[in-house]
Amino acid sequence: MKKPLRITALALAVALAAAGCTGTEQQGSTTTADGMVDYLDYGGFGGGSNPQANYNPYLPATALGAVGYLFEPLMVFDKYHCEPKPWLATAYTWKDPKTLVFTIREGVKWTDGKPFGADDVAFSFNLLKQHQALDSTGVWRYLSAVVADDPRTVTMTFTEPGASAFLLVSELQIVPKHIWSTVSDPVTFTNATDPVGTGSFTVKAFNPQQLTIARNPNYWQADKIKVNEIRFHNGDGGGQIDQLKLSRGEYDHNGMFVPDIKKAYVDRDPEFNHYWYPPGGTISVYLNLTRAPFDDLAFRRALTTAFDRQEISDKAQFGYVKPASQTGLIVPGQAGWLPPDIPNQGVLGYDPAKADADLTAAGYPKNAEGKRLGKDGKPITFTFKVPGSWTDWVQAARIVTENLTELGFTVQTQTPTPESYENDRAIGSYDALFGVHGGSCNMFTNFQAPLASDQSAPIGKKAANNFVRWTDPRTDQLIQALKVATDENAQKAAVADLSRIMMDQVPMIPLWYGAKWFQYRTKKAVGWPSEENPYANPGDNLLIITNLRPAGSS
Amino acid sequence: MLYFVRRFAFFVATLWAAVTLNFLIPRLQPGDPAEAIVSRLAGRNEAIDPAQVRAVRIMLGAPDGSLLEQYVQYLGAVARGDFGVSYSYFPYSVTHMIGQTLLWTVILVGVTQVISFVVGTLLGTWAAYRRNSRVDSIITLGSTFLGTLPFFWLALLLIYVFAITLRWFPERGGYGGGSTPGWSWLFVSDAIQHSVLPATALLITGPIGWIIGMRNNMVQSLGEDHARLALARGLPRRRIALTYGARLAILPNVTGFAIALGGILGGTVLVESVFNYPGMGRLLLEAVSNRDFPLMQAIFLFTTIGVLVANFLADVLYGVLDPRVRRAEST
Repeated sequence: MKKPLRITALALAVALAAAGCTGTEQQGSTTTADGMVDYLDYGGFGGGSNPQANYNPYLPATALGAVGYLFEPLMVFDKYHCEPKPWLATAYTWKDPKTLVFTIREGVKWTDGKPFGADDVAFSFNLLKQHQALDSTGVWRYLSAVVADDPRTVTMTFTEPGASAFLLVSELQIVPKHIWSTVSDPVTFTNATDPVGTGSFTVKAFNPQQLTIARNPNYWQADKIKVNEIRFHNGDGGGQIDQLKLSRGEYDHNGMFVPDIKKAYVDRDPEFNHYWYPPGGTISVYLNLTRAPFDDLAFRRALTTAFDRQEISDKAQFGYVKPASQTGLIVPGQAGWLPPDIPNQGVLGYDPAKADADLTAAGYPKNAEGKRLGKDGKPITFTFKVPGSWTDWVQAARIVTENLTELGFTVQTQTPTPESYENDRAIGSYDALFGVHGGSCNMFTNFQAPLASDQSAPIGKKAANNFVRWTDPRTDQLIQALKVATDENAQKAAVADLSRIMMDQVPMIPLWYGAKWFQYRTKKAVGWPSEENPYANPGDNLLIITNLRPAGSS
Repeated sequence: MLYFVRRFAFFVATLWAAVTLNFLIPRLQPGDPAEAIVSRLAGRNEAIDPAQVRAVRIMLGAPDGSLLEQYVQYLGAVARGDFGVSYSYFPYSVTHMIGQTLLWTVILVGVTQVISFVVGTLLGTWAAYRRNSRVDSIITLGSTFLGTLPFFWLALLLIYVFAITLRWFPERGGYGGGSTPGWSWLFVSDAIQHSVLPATALLITGPIGWIIGMRNNMVQSLGEDHARLALARGLPRRRIALTYGARLAILPNVTGFAIALGGILGGTVLVESVFNYPGMGRLLLEAVSNRDFPLMQAIFLFTTIGVLVANFLADVLYGVLDPRVRRAEST
């Protein structure tokens, strides 16, 4: 009798022990006695399906997501309003259009206790100059020198007037000189053991399933951090199981695509489950401008009213996003940049009758069978490419081709793999397809990347970003003017003219804004950015974490 | 003897061909690893930053020299067991990544393969021994039915019932988020708990092939002249079934089993991705989708070598088990 009993007890102990260490599912009391959120559960932490410890902030492709909480930049941008907030620098001034001076914050300490200063800033920048592989945002395309004048002052010199690079340089994460200067090869440095930063959190525990970071009690604005611990869970990247866990309330925050989020998530717990999907980049129809009839301006202009943007938003994108403005700007967020004479913020309606009339007037009539004819008198046929596995894009492409078919075009949809899609798009081997552009706080790259002629390449060669192959001297001039513009008025003037080119010359036809996925739960913590209080974009982790407070507090 | 020499020569030639194909195939695929990495990070709703593509390209380093030089370098590196740095887990090496995942796959898939083979062979034998009886129909029809269920669906069903609804087992992963990987009792028990559902999924579908193969082979071999002669001579039915029927019928299954064991190194992509199991199959899937050529090559190479070695051993074993094969090839 004794033996079976012991086995049962042992089995029970095993089960209990195992249940204890899987402990990601339990939900208990959430606020500690000192008014802190005990811990928050976040979604994935980057680094692939089998993440390895990597806290090198200059390897964004493979570093774990927590680096954003360990290291800090000089300024943090609220990427919703595109406004810089003082962070490791308290102020900045432009001494002249090519010289930017940052005043470095006093009293900041690295997590190993050593003081932080201007030396660390200059060192970090020059580290990237020395190791180009680390310069993943390309700051040294614009900079010529970064020097620490004294412990509190850093001077940056640009090769050209540098206002357009302000975002890039102020966002670079700063690493401690006293540690990184001893690293023999910073490109292969994983910084895996006790990474030292200035940030609000430190690494507490890591295994490939879960990354736990803990509040840094000596943080320079520790009074603003009300969360003791963040636990990142290695999910299946928004697959079915992650969606189930999300709907069960096991994540306090996640950012993944969920079909019909209202039913699948919000309705499960309407009091606490919320989402906010602000716009990211603009997704447009790219027409290959080197091919007829897309090289004809009148043809492209006629097509601007040919697409049912609202239906795409509602059906292909579950109503999560809004129809896009033809100006290339994100409205209403960037509406301040619009020239005042553009009606309805440049968002064009669906008017197939007008498109039909405009096409006919432009010399593309329909024949007796209802087929749209080209200038050579033959029916116009072309292909539309869309990656077969991107289902929401496939849906959008279906609506686009239906709209085109109604106008008498013969359109064949092709669904290659994402890789060959991206390759075809880059080398210009397509008639029509979707492309993404703009949407960032850097107005210069918003227009330069898709439209500058130096971003293009001959057909057959990979273009950097100008996939439609738009080459226009006036556009290049405006982009250069925007690049070197030193004050806001000059920047606005250039952006206004560029958005007029988008309206009048139609290099591409914007359809909808890609969403930034952002789900959050207000059971443990409140203060998340939302449509009512959009103080930051979903990716602005430092702004969000300094705003979170325990639920129930005011 | 000639038989074994021939088999060995064949093994070496296939190995060389596999290593060479392994070198060529990734280089013929479309897609730039740097772009793949950056666009995966950006997601389809954001424009990609050419500066980052450039930085990643410098980071990964372009292969230098002509194709022939690269090939020679590659052969040398393979001989030394140096597979380079993984693209998607930079700066971690391919060997490190495989070391992280190898044991998980070998234990999960290895154990379930052996159990599947034993159970499948026994059930198949039983079904053939009692052929056309009710036992036979239950075994044959049951396994055929289970075999028609999509594995993916079956696995999700297991997760839904036992992990999501009943919460008896964790829904994914090889171990819990709070535990520290190592050979501690706590961690091992945690890992066992996590392996129950994937192992069950593998054990439900695993034996089917062996059952059907064994039953059909054995029914056939029991119908052959020598078996009928044995029956006519009055040997016990059970003895005929086991010593004459089963022994012959198991031969093709031995080869199949060896190849299956060799293929373990490639992992089972499906089960590992559904259960997010930290094994080689999921790593391979990720390597392919990220254009992580070094990692892909190494996993393919391990799989190929595994299969080839197993195949060679099966051939040798076959020669020992079945003298007819040896004789047929010597003449």
